[in-house]
Amino acid sequence: MRDVYVAGIGITTFTRLEFALSEIASYASMMALKDAGITEVDQVYVANMGAPRVNHQTALASAVVDSLSLTPAGAAAIENGPASGGSAIKAGFQAVASGMDDVVLVAGVERMREVNGLEATDFIATLTHPIAEYIYGVTLPAHAAMFTRLYMDKYGVTERHLAMVGVKNQNAALKNEWAHLQQGISLEGILDSPEAMTNNPYVAEPLRFFDACPVSDGGAAIILVSEEKAKEFGRPLIKLSGVGQATDTHSVHEREEPTDLLAVRKAAGDAFAMAGLTPQDVDVAELHDAFTILEIAESEEVGFFPKGEGHIALEKGETALGGKIPINVGGGLKGRGHPVGATGVAQAWEIVTQLRGDGGERQVEGASVGFTCNFGGFGNNVVCLTFEKEA
Amino acid sequence: MAREIYAYRCRLCDTMHYPFRMVCKNCKQNDFFEFDAVPLPKSGNLLTFTRVYNLPAQYEVATLGLGIVELDNGMRMLGQLDIEDPKAGMAVKGSVEVVRKETYDEFYGMVFKEA
Repeated sequence: MRDVYVAGIGITTFTRLEFALSEIASYASMMALKDAGITEVDQVYVANMGAPRVNHQTALASAVVDSLSLTPAGAAAIENGPASGGSAIKAGFQAVASGMDDVVLVAGVERMREVNGLEATDFIATLTHPIAEYIYGVTLPAHAAMFTRLYMDKYGVTERHLAMVGVKNQNAALKNEWAHLQQGISLEGILDSPEAMTNNPYVAEPLRFFDACPVSDGGAAIILVSEEKAKEFGRPLIKLSGVGQATDTHSVHEREEPTDLLAVRKAAGDAFAMAGLTPQDVDVAELHDAFTILEIAESEEVGFFPKGEGHIALEKGETALGGKIPINVGGGLKGRGHPVGATGVAQAWEIVTQLRGDGGERQVEGASVGFTCNFGGFGNNVVCLTFEKEA
Repeated sequence: MAREIYAYRCRLCDTMHYPFRMVCKNCKQNDFFEFDAVPLPKSGNLLTFTRVYNLPAQYEVATLGLGIVELDNGMRMLGQLDIEDPKAGMAVKGSVEVVRKETYDEFYGMVFKEA
């Protein structure tokens, strides 16, 4: 297997975007192509979840490859729920590692504010089990809420811990010009003051409004190349050193221990094993905090902290910028936004930015190993990646 | 006749599945549809629950109670809750009712009440 490097990255602002879906993907891709200084690629993968349903568009990759004047490169769209981005990066990795392609553009995109909130919620809920979950009106916040209640009972996580994750990540987004939420929040405003119930009502008990990521439009892109090509381009050498993907039961109720996220555990373990790293080697991590509880649970399952102790590390500030293992310093899904197909690629964008030392105010000093966890479904399809800076 | 929700028992190794899957998760040896349909028990205990305030399109109620129930045979299922003040561990009893209405369709599922 050949080593795979990152030659370019690009992103759009995450917000409501009044551009065509393919233009959002193309803009982020154009930034990545300019970053790498290239105008030709061998293959394009476009990660997206909702184009056929939400945007009434199919075969998105064909639109993107042509819009970027990259024809006749190969192109394919990858739909894998909220893990589409990570899955597309994995496909790009396989293409380069196998020796089949030398330069692969991976773009992730979503334009889900084209429909109203009810329809967006329904669209995401279609990833649940059609018979055992979807027909009951289950939403992703509902799954996260039921999971949270079990976590609270078993490990002593409280609404305060959840709010602390929300405050940490939403305020981190203030240092990320591309992030969706550009409004600071405080524990006072969302939890402690008499107005907190108005400011921060329940979405699905015990999860509140500020425990959930916003609904965002946006795109992100990354260019993966062989070692030979990476040296030609003269960009900092960032190696995509580990890739892990794992699945779990489609319906959440079938899991033997409902507080375990086994797919996260296995995907992270496989990524670390491929890279020859341990969780303790990681300097900066992007975890999939679509809901605040997920940052806590994933920080345990990927191996940063023992099971049941993620919220204690959070209390100690170990997951904040300047802590032992800074998590979601660019805002995470909570602050940056969560255009579902783009998220896995946006996580990689943030890690590469950090490893290049381009993080500005949110830079993790001396970061040389980064990690991403892209969590699809309610934990039934997970992709983890490790990135390393080479001197 | 009362409506039922069915679990599926593998004819080769007796492993129960809900929901249905094509290949048995235990023996992985069964042939096409080599399962027996067995009605799920309707009573059990509430494992976890939530009340949802932002519902998907097509729901014409303000909030919806949902929960995962540990049934009397040890299997679990997700259902709607018609319970004012749910508590983890409480005994519940289910009946099969309409849980989702679409323009031309009605979908039946389990709705749990306090036992």
